[in-house]
Amino acid sequence: MDIKLTNVSKSFDKKTVISDMSFSISSGDIVCLLGPSGSGKTTIIRLLIGAIASDRGTIHFGETKVPDLKLLKQIGFMPQNDALYDDLSGEDNLRFFGGFFKMGKSHLEKRITEVLELVDLSDHRKKYIRNYSGGMKKRLSLAATLLHEPDVLLLDEPTVGIDPVLRHNIWNQFKAIKATGKTIIVSTHVMDEVTECDKAALIYNGRLINYDSVENLLSKTKSGKVEELFIEADKRQKGGEAL
Amino acid sequence: MSVAKRIIRQVAGDKRSVMMIVFAPLLILTLLYFLLGNTTYKPTIAIHESKLPPALVATLKAEDAHIVDIHEDMDSELYLKDHRDVDAVFSLSEAGSGITMYESSSKSAKAMKVIQNALASLNPSAKMTTTFVIGKENASFFESMGYIFFGLFAFFFIFLISGMSLVKERSIGTLERFMMSPISRSSVILGYTVGYGVFAVLQAVVMTLFGIYILGIGCAGNIIWAILIMLLLAISAVSFGFLVSTFSNTELQVVQIIPVAIIPQVFFSGLIPMDTIPYGLGNLGYFTPVFYGCTAMKKIMIIGDGFGDIWPYLLGLLIYILVLCILNMLALKKYRRL
Repeated sequence: MDIKLTNVSKSFDKKTVISDMSFSISSGDIVCLLGPSGSGKTTIIRLLIGAIASDRGTIHFGETKVPDLKLLKQIGFMPQNDALYDDLSGEDNLRFFGGFFKMGKSHLEKRITEVLELVDLSDHRKKYIRNYSGGMKKRLSLAATLLHEPDVLLLDEPTVGIDPVLRHNIWNQFKAIKATGKTIIVSTHVMDEVTECDKAALIYNGRLINYDSVENLLSKTKSGKVEELFIEADKRQKGGEAL
Repeated sequence: MSVAKRIIRQVAGDKRSVMMIVFAPLLILTLLYFLLGNTTYKPTIAIHESKLPPALVATLKAEDAHIVDIHEDMDSELYLKDHRDVDAVFSLSEAGSGITMYESSSKSAKAMKVIQNALASLNPSAKMTTTFVIGKENASFFESMGYIFFGLFAFFFIFLISGMSLVKERSIGTLERFMMSPISRSSVILGYTVGYGVFAVLQAVVMTLFGIYILGIGCAGNIIWAILIMLLLAISAVSFGFLVSTFSNTELQVVQIIPVAIIPQVFFSGLIPMDTIPYGLGNLGYFTPVFYGCTAMKKIMIIGDGFGDIWPYLLGLLIYILVLCILNMLALKKYRRL
């Protein structure tokens, strides 16, 4: 299922957050939305899922136009904060979030066991979330996203605030998920993470400054660092204003 | 129903919430029972015995009060300031009888009653018999006003718990997360209502049984209707909490709304008769769920009416709930357009 954004714009209180953005994501890719904090990454994810409406432009998942209630069944969304219930156990959290997808009790239980294994939390399933460490919460949050076997994963800063070892683990999990044919869209402000993805959309001040395969993007730079492209874009935007 | 099940599991797993819903109202009711119930307080009345007719002195002494003799003429106000254990000074002159009291309180009211009784027994034509069409003559303030607290507590505690937990869901993002699943907005609201509704029923049953069988508040009508009213009040409290949480970003802000949104409702609960409120402000009561709930509670518990008499108030509550639910559905659009 390819995802296509066409001329999407969005402003909040007359402040433009996303301006005239068009790009498409091929099925089965890991695409990262890369940009500094406040560049509009979360807004793009919320637009993609249909939580908010774009002012102009359209978004399509395959043939389906966003927003669509049925489409939500095929999307796994992982919010920026952990968004778990402290006063429920790990498995009860999953039971709750899985309960909205009409999976059938036995299938849901089977999926809970599977995803807990995937994120290596099987031993902690009965533990309350308030006793989880930060990294464990992140992993459970990811598990909740995978429960209903979505085709597209929308992950908002999944690796923020976690240690390098766990980050490495999580990226390996993303690659394993990709291997099962799923599309993964992940937002991040960590420039180094771009090398883990197939394609990257560089976002700066609500504009798409570059969208290409990671290899091509890196070959456009002298130092082999993606930062360069942002610095150039900043110069261009400022230059444009001066004229 | 996923939402309802989770709420039941969460609240049942949290001892503090259960205590707040079930035991806090009982604790406060018990406290009120002692504070507002009938007391055996004996007022102290000072008189200048030689200045009063002996017959009056004798009847006063026969009343349920302590009578002290001042022995000399002195200013009543000064005397009361010096003798704080004395509730009233009674004197008689050509101009009539006079009572001086230190302050207006339930103690001075008792002293007044003793003096009136004594005067009436000397002069039977001045005797006044009080009877009420509804309620009992010798009912304590607690017995005649207890229904108000039933209604208020049913509303307040559920409002507090549901409002708080909803704000928390917004701030930690769990609401956003499950709104990104194919759940309809109406079933989110229904789920919350059912989840807290279960505890509301528990609370209503425990509170009415405790009030009626242990504290001895009479219920002239059918208890089932009283429980139904409290349940509807609690459901309106869930919707109200939902709406308040929409405008709050932190739990503290929910608490800050209480003086604005909850305390005025107490005034329209029946504590103050609506007709006595000036400038037609009493009509504001029609905008508060507590007014409908408490009026219906009064009809059931004090007057002994049946369903035929309370249905307009139940309808009022239902309309209130419906309007709040529609507003809440619209508020959820913030999270998802569909």
